[in-house]
Amino acid sequence: MAAISGASILHLFANLEETSLSILLRESGVAFFSSLTLHSLAMAFVVGVNLALAFSLLGLTPSLLNKRFQPFFILHWWAVLLIFFSGLALLVAYPAKALTNPVFYLKFTALTIGLLITWRLQCLVRDQKIDHSRPGNRIHSNIPIAFAMLCCWMLTIGAGRFLAYTHSVLLASRYF
Amino acid sequence: MEQALLAFSHETGIFDFMHSPWGWPVVESLHFFGLSLLIGTVGVFDLRMIGLGHGIAYRHLHRLAPIGVFGYVINLLTGTMFLTSAPNQYLYNPAFQTKLGFMLLAGCNVIWFYSACSTQVRNTGDYLPVSGRAKLIAAISLISWCAIIICGRLITYYRPPYHWCIWC
Repeated sequence: MAAISGASILHLFANLEETSLSILLRESGVAFFSSLTLHSLAMAFVVGVNLALAFSLLGLTPSLLNKRFQPFFILHWWAVLLIFFSGLALLVAYPAKALTNPVFYLKFTALTIGLLITWRLQCLVRDQKIDHSRPGNRIHSNIPIAFAMLCCWMLTIGAGRFLAYTHSVLLASRYF
Repeated sequence: MEQALLAFSHETGIFDFMHSPWGWPVVESLHFFGLSLLIGTVGVFDLRMIGLGHGIAYRHLHRLAPIGVFGYVINLLTGTMFLTSAPNQYLYNPAFQTKLGFMLLAGCNVIWFYSACSTQVRNTGDYLPVSGRAKLIAAISLISWCAIIICGRLITYYRPPYHWCIWC
């Protein structure tokens, strides 16, 4: 039963790989390279801003958690949108490569948790429930959040890199 | 040079580690981590100088610089591990050569910043713009780091001996 289910999923991926969009994204050097590069650029910015926020929560750097940082949060969410669309393009190009690899789900989960933490922090800053620019406003309960952020983003990076080395299926269409 | 780099890699154990199943992806992850630290600190400071984040104190953001330097050191070490483990794939690769060019430009730009306007920028009021020269330095820095990421990605596509290179 599991084998039948696996085969039908592979068949689905094979059908997706044969769409003109998937072929274009995979075989046009410019399209694939652009998706990959935009994904890296946006990811570097998003991870970078989040690492800076985590270090700020740990008290290693001056605080960034105040309402003046909002423009950077806005830019951060635009970069997240870019990650989403470029990631989707890479997924459409090689659906079986990612979706049959558990590492992809690890990356996706870590990324989602990381972004949820950032979103929550941004809401707290917006509602002025935390403002580290005021003296004595840093609290020790921030430390677990900062470590959670660091773990999530390091996992996201690591899983992203390991994706290229751990896939068992590159193209499902080769099986049919 | 290629032989010297390979010999160094073998002597230090870098070669064996890099050619183990986990070596390359682990070092790539660290390389990207270092790059993200740079973008999250230097990149944010550059964007602030260009005009984003009105009201954030320049001197506060400038204190993120040591983390950026830490990221740069990680990248230098991991980059050396890549280069010495497969020197023929990098030395004759035009994307890698261009990447080095942009790294040089970014390095010169940092020297220009610290020799010309770092004190002035740090003393600029939170709601005041920095000088045109500081904005130019910030723009060069952002462009350089974006180009470094792009060239890093291009390395895979310009593996020798299929493409031209500057010194071969």
